[in-house]
Amino acid sequence: MRVLKKYVPVAILVFAVYIVFSGSISSYDIIIGAFLAVAVSLISSKYIVKDESKALSLRRFLHLVKYALYYLTIAEFKAHKMVIKIVLSREMPVKPAIVRVPYRSRNEYAVVASANSITNTPGTIVVDIDPEKSQFYVHWIYAAGLDPETTYIGVLEEFEKGLSKVFE
Amino acid sequence: MRKYFVLVSIVLATVVIAYITTYLRALGPIGLDTRYLAKLFLMLTYNPVYRELTAMSPEAVTSIVWDFRGVDTLYETVVFYMAIIAALTIYRGVSYSSIWGGYGLSLIVRVVTKLLIPINIAIAVSIAAHGHLTPGGGFQAGAVLAVVSVLLAVTYSASSFIKLGVSLSKAVALRSAGLLAIALVVFTPIVFSALTGVQTYIMQNYVKIDSSFSFPTHVWNQLISGTLIWLNLAEFLAVSFGFFIIFMLLSLREEVVREQIGEKDEH
Repeated sequence: MRVLKKYVPVAILVFAVYIVFSGSISSYDIIIGAFLAVAVSLISSKYIVKDESKALSLRRFLHLVKYALYYLTIAEFKAHKMVIKIVLSREMPVKPAIVRVPYRSRNEYAVVASANSITNTPGTIVVDIDPEKSQFYVHWIYAAGLDPETTYIGVLEEFEKGLSKVFE
Repeated sequence: MRKYFVLVSIVLATVVIAYITTYLRALGPIGLDTRYLAKLFLMLTYNPVYRELTAMSPEAVTSIVWDFRGVDTLYETVVFYMAIIAALTIYRGVSYSSIWGGYGLSLIVRVVTKLLIPINIAIAVSIAAHGHLTPGGGFQAGAVLAVVSVLLAVTYSASSFIKLGVSLSKAVALRSAGLLAIALVVFTPIVFSALTGVQTYIMQNYVKIDSSFSFPTHVWNQLISGTLIWLNLAEFLAVSFGFFIIFMLLSLREEVVREQIGEKDEH
């Protein structure tokens, strides 16, 4: 049973994508979707899932929903507000710089979700990542400072706090 | 001045082409009338009443491609097969076993790609399995699945094929299996005729005026449209692994190929 559990997360993902993309819950689709989910999961789970108890944890899933809501509303609103202010002002108060932002997450999904959270908010883009030094190189439209603490607080802290509850 | 000239010519060309295609009726009469051929297709693709003429599939394009003009598609598939044989011939003697190293792209791209590949497979299979019901079909699904090989080569570098156990010979075998499955569907009516003496036609899908032979159109009340689902699934296999072969070969570096075929001469 323990062994089989490893294959559940990818199977759920594949089955859900198949059903949603097909737009049908006929028995034909449920049967094909189920076979496909098992087959793809058997092949690909070892590359995708390292800790299945994390992937199947309801608490972590709720944290993910909470983070998604926070990200899509509050975080995006704040970032847009800042960029809109810059765009509409006469002086164009930009201070662009590519800054080093240290990250603390160890889990690769947490790191990637943080990076994508930074990129998807306007004003900041992850240009590169250095996994050995655990840092992102971020282009920041208004760099408040160049030292690691300032950049971490300004760019990443909020995201990493929310995501660590999901992935770490 | 030049900008002005370009702008005027674009506007003039647009007006002239629009005039020719609409008021001069260069494309034939247009309007709300559907043309006769289109009406025939729309009426006959799924029509259990005219049993001798229908393809028993609500998807008009698949009906035309794999039933009404099925032999044409069969030859297209053969042409594709020959093109890949030509590519394999050009690269003859080149194997994938000696490629190592290669870093691929950054961690961010690698992790996202890792998650996209199972999603990609699910979508490809959905397109193939609904080829007789909704737009799509075997070729389209094959093209979608082949994207996996491009993702692997670009994101994880060509050496990832070895690590994952994807080899050219396996891809060739799967592609050939798809083509054999197409041949099986195409020749089943002939074999049936030889065994029972019933009049049939090559690549026959549903009953004809002088032939009672038909592939099953339904399985447990689910429409599978006779040959169409099998041809779509087989084409899916043949096309996806055909493209796999092409993309795998194209992702090889020139130095590796030269070394393997023993070409030493530096021109």
